Amino acid sequence: MSGAADREAVFPTRQSLGLMKAKLKGAETGHSLLKRKSEALTKRFREITRRIDEAKRKMGRVMQIASLSLAEVTYAVGGNIGFQIQESARSARFRIRAKQENVSGVLLPTFESYLTEGNNDFAMTGLGKGGQQVQRCRETYARAVEALVELASLQTAFVILDEVIKVVNRRVNAIEHVIIPRTENTIKYINSELDELDREEFYRLKKVANKKQQDVAAQDAEIKRLKLEQEARGKKQAVADEPETSAGPAELLEAEGDEDVIF
Amino acid sequence: MEGLFFNVNNGYIEGIVRGYRNGLLTGANYTNMTQCETIDDLKLQLGPAYGDFLSSLPPNPSTSSIAAKTTDKLVAEFRYVRANAVGSLAKFMDYLTYGYMIDNVALLITGTLHERDTRELLERCHPLGWFETMPVLCVATNIEELYNSVLIETPLAPYFKGSLSHQDLDELNIEIVRNTLYKNYLEDFYQFVNSHPDMVGTPTAEVMSEMLEFEADRRAINITLNSFGTELSKADRNKLYPSFGMLYPEGTLMLSRADDFEGVRLAVEGVQDYKTFFEAAGLGGGAGGPGNMAGGSGTEGKTLEDMFYQKEMEISKGAFTRQFTYAIVYAWVKLREQEIRNITWIAECIAQNQKDRINNYISVF
Amino acid sequence: MSSHADNKDRQFLAVIGDEDSVTGLLLAGIGHVTPPPDSQKNFLVVDSKTDTATIEEAFQRFTTERKDIGIVLINQHIADRIRHRVDTYTAAFPALLEIPSKDHPYDPEKDSVLRRVRRLFGE
Repeated sequence: MSGAADREAVFPTRQSLGLMKAKLKGAETGHSLLKRKSEALTKRFREITRRIDEAKRKMGRVMQIASLSLAEVTYAVGGNIGFQIQESARSARFRIRAKQENVSGVLLPTFESYLTEGNNDFAMTGLGKGGQQVQRCRETYARAVEALVELASLQTAFVILDEVIKVVNRRVNAIEHVIIPRTENTIKYINSELDELDREEFYRLKKVANKKQQDVAAQDAEIKRLKLEQEARGKKQAVADEPETSAGPAELLEAEGDEDVIF
Repeated sequence: MEGLFFNVNNGYIEGIVRGYRNGLLTGANYTNMTQCETIDDLKLQLGPAYGDFLSSLPPNPSTSSIAAKTTDKLVAEFRYVRANAVGSLAKFMDYLTYGYMIDNVALLITGTLHERDTRELLERCHPLGWFETMPVLCVATNIEELYNSVLIETPLAPYFKGSLSHQDLDELNIEIVRNTLYKNYLEDFYQFVNSHPDMVGTPTAEVMSEMLEFEADRRAINITLNSFGTELSKADRNKLYPSFGMLYPEGTLMLSRADDFEGVRLAVEGVQDYKTFFEAAGLGGGAGGPGNMAGGSGTEGKTLEDMFYQKEMEISKGAFTRQFTYAIVYAWVKLREQEIRNITWIAECIAQNQKDRINNYISVF
Repeated sequence: MSSHADNKDRQFLAVIGDEDSVTGLLLAGIGHVTPPPDSQKNFLVVDSKTDTATIEEAFQRFTTERKDIGIVLINQHIADRIRHRVDTYTAAFPALLEIPSKDHPYDPEKDSVLRRVRRLFGE
């Protein structure tokens, strides 16, 4: 068969046949498990991509609203507060923490936003004018950033899942298209080799049996002739020879080593 | 009587400013502007008023560049008027610019505190608040130097003197510095229009007093409202209230004791205008204001701030009904600033595709 | 893939954007300056005068050097200026997010992640 080129380098023995069979079984179980995992992940993946698509579009809208509220601040304060804001930024009030979610054995990080208490860098901004707008703008932007954080979680999950799915699919394909056929080929090869050996053995045994029959026949003839001679001489010696001849044919099938004793 | 010699020195200026006032956008202009679909349309609509200044902008300019260009026009006109002004009017106009100077100085102080390259900051300064020694501010590298050798030379020096030391600049929040300066400035300006021989007893003193009193009250109310929930103590807050205005002294005293929106409302109860403002705004949830995430379109989302601006514009408009007064210059600048804010707001709404709130501009003509 | 242990420390957002975007996001409270002497900001304001090298450097700093940043926000029109860097950035941490700016509406066609989404679904 053509499979002869693609098999594992093993000696065709019964032991390796057993090993190979176990391996095939393992590969098949693994394949079906991985396949299921890959399907579960892909399902999740598709869901995430759809949500990303939605979220990205929504983000456009949310950010517009936020920009408008910043415009409102500019309107109320009557000038640009950008520089002052940049300079008074000290410590982040809005922070995130990464949590992990387990999807079919893959750890997907999700970001969660939280506000730290007590540090307010911009409390005084717009004290004389527009302070209320500034506070409102902060809330609007905080909401926008929350949306962004959510999107970032989705996106991170997307990147990781993409990677994991690729790996899993590669494994599934490797098992399906390389490991399983190869193991099957090896098993086939071992089987055919073992069969060949069996046939050879059988033929040899047949030959041996033939030979032995001839020998036995020849011996029988000899014995008869001797018997006749002994009968002529006396009856005592014939009793001692008998066990040796009857043991010969019985042992023939058991071991070859004993044959020497007969000859 | 007071008008007898007014035109000798100031007739030309008054004519010019009245001309400028007629160039302000009217309600019909604004209605047209709100119909625009793109910034380019808006630019076209602004053509008659701002054509020269907007023509250099690329197609579909950003809103900030429109704001910058429209401000340029105001600055150019203001400088022209200032160049032609003499005597007490020139001084009056200088006073007008001090308000912008305070903002600029606050900006430079912030920059110096954070060891920024202050040269960059000069570009961000408001051109009306430009003073000759301002580039010198950039020389200072630390706050003490800035205070001792530079700020002393500026027209704002008297406002620093006595209320702020150089340590204060370092330690106090810049907003407190800014508001302290502003308080001193308003008091000084008020003093100026009510004591200068050219202005005492003229419509100028009368109109300007009304405007400055309103400005003082507005600041006092705003500071109070905005200080809730911050580390600004009541005593410190009290120092920031200007010592004149319709609320002064009882109202400001009550303001200084107010703990919440309700307290502020009680404090201003005595003044009819503010009372109605608060009643209107109080329904919207007060200091928190109506949430703007929802678009605020349903409930005619007028904030306190909007109503103050509206009132300011009405006072300014009223100033033009008087003859022989410097106050029209002040009124004109305020009206023009509001116009720039309106244009920016409309442009912003168009750019962000948020047409439902485009009518939040304030037009009095 | 980066190990999951160090992701716990990622608690800040970083932003590269135009002045308005940065101001808004700072107002939301994401701004953080690490204590002196090497006080580092987690935001960069880009205007027309900022050269691309500065942007790239900040991008590099936020995405690879600093380990306390979980999400990097970048204005789309600025991402366009360093598009090659953004497109080749595939790590999961920190997450890179392209956001619209005030003057440049969002264009889903340019987004590096959305393009990957599209490619996967063969649209």
